[in-house]
Amino acid sequence: MTQAIELQSVTRRFRNDNALEDVTLAVPDGAICGLLGRNGAGKTTVMSLISGQDRPTTGRVLVDGDDPFENEAVLSSISFVRDNQRYPDDYFLHHVLSIAPAFAPHWDGELAAELVEGFRLPRKPAIRKFSRGQLSAVAIVLGLASRAPVTLLDEPYLGLDATARGLFHDLLLRDLGRHPRTLLLSTHLIDESDSLFDHVVLMDRGRVVLRAEAEEARRVAMCVSGVADAVQAFCADYPVLRSHSIGGLRTSTVTGRLDDDARSRAATLGVQLKGASLQDLAVAYGSGDSLQDSSKEGISA
Amino acid sequence: MNGIQAATRLHLTKKNMTFGVPVQIVGLVAVISALIALIIWRAGGTPGSAEWITGARSNGGMAFGLLGFLVYLGVQSIATTFPFALTLGSTRKAFVGGTLVWAAVTSAYLAVIYAVLLLVELATDHWFASVYIFDVYYLGTGDLLILLPTVFLGSLSALTIGALFGASWARFGNRGPVFLGAGLAIGLLGLLALVLPSITGSVLDGFRLWWLAVAAVVIIAVSAVMTLLLLRSAVVR
Repeated sequence: MTQAIELQSVTRRFRNDNALEDVTLAVPDGAICGLLGRNGAGKTTVMSLISGQDRPTTGRVLVDGDDPFENEAVLSSISFVRDNQRYPDDYFLHHVLSIAPAFAPHWDGELAAELVEGFRLPRKPAIRKFSRGQLSAVAIVLGLASRAPVTLLDEPYLGLDATARGLFHDLLLRDLGRHPRTLLLSTHLIDESDSLFDHVVLMDRGRVVLRAEAEEARRVAMCVSGVADAVQAFCADYPVLRSHSIGGLRTSTVTGRLDDDARSRAATLGVQLKGASLQDLAVAYGSGDSLQDSSKEGISA
Repeated sequence: MNGIQAATRLHLTKKNMTFGVPVQIVGLVAVISALIALIIWRAGGTPGSAEWITGARSNGGMAFGLLGFLVYLGVQSIATTFPFALTLGSTRKAFVGGTLVWAAVTSAYLAVIYAVLLLVELATDHWFASVYIFDVYYLGTGDLLILLPTVFLGSLSALTIGALFGASWARFGNRGPVFLGAGLAIGLLGLLALVLPSITGSVLDGFRLWWLAVAAVVIIAVSAVMTLLLLRSAVVR
């Protein structure tokens, strides 16, 4: 399978801090990939490098096999609007809609108009006066209507109301069906986007902690809950990613497949067992327990 | 549409800022100049006299009134537009190229505006009231062949210097303009200290206006190259 996006041993250092450390990942052509992780995990830095807005300190970034930095042909095939995007002084929505087609060869004006209408974006106030949700909607308009072969959506849900999120989902799926492209989407609303993803990259503290096809990722771990002693006994045979206790009850996320052996063991110990969702995984890896002692009693680790 | 054309269009989408506001400032300066002429007349000056004309032609309002705005326009052409240009998919090189083309278009537009208004001023015998606004020493004393390059190169210099300061901010944050300004001031003062003793009366007598044109072209070229160098390593955050 051809890779649309590749990062090979990429490190990005800002002064003494490593925003990314030895990151290697690949997104196949046409994939819808979720980029998950806590704030500061390095998601926006990854997108920034892919879109040529930044360069790695070491390592290589490739989009369709080429370095995107200062590469006009590659950059015209990428759309990336960051979550805290800045617009020129005194810019209005009509400025954005009139200039975007000059840079995006596949721009669809009708889709842009449909999105503007659907999100009820106002034409009058300057963009700097837009609410957080309206700014996200502008980013979605740019991201989807550009029909860029490589589309990067950075926290597109930020501030969007439930109706707007539903509209975004519907139009995204409809447009991807008609015009397939590679989509890399970072979000904290994982459960809402779960069904979209066919690939997942999970990051924590500048490192990739999991990269897999979404189906595989959903089988990587399981959640066990019940009386603390029984849960602890169950967990003895599995690497614990995260544990959380309330009173005498305990919930743990452990790596391992939810197979017949696990079910039978859970039944014997009297604990509840379910497959870990992508959200469970993101929370577990983001807690840091997997990197340290797995028992942090009484805190949402 | 190539990258430079697209970046030029990016700046030109804000038509009011590029074409409208400068004309409003020119109009305001013209009104102030006319009011000052009225005050001098009321204070006992004689419109049309040799003394009046000499004094009125020293009016620097139209030569310097736009400078501050043009430098600001240059700063914002980089500081707030650069992140959005990269978002749209521009390369840094094409963005700087497009910014330079836009600055040249803006400067040419201003030169034409000034030239037309100078012709009107001359045709109306200085607005029917001996008010000298464009027919002034700083702009060539009514000579179009001096006014046109003066306004064009002066405006372009202001815009590109502003762009350079904007690029220093994009690259180094708040420290950028501070260090660039201090560096330029120290450099200019040092240069003056070096060359001042050798500037004799004969050099001043031999001064030609085209020296300023050459200096402006050098300033524009150096500013544009430094802007590109700064933006090449600037990170959008």
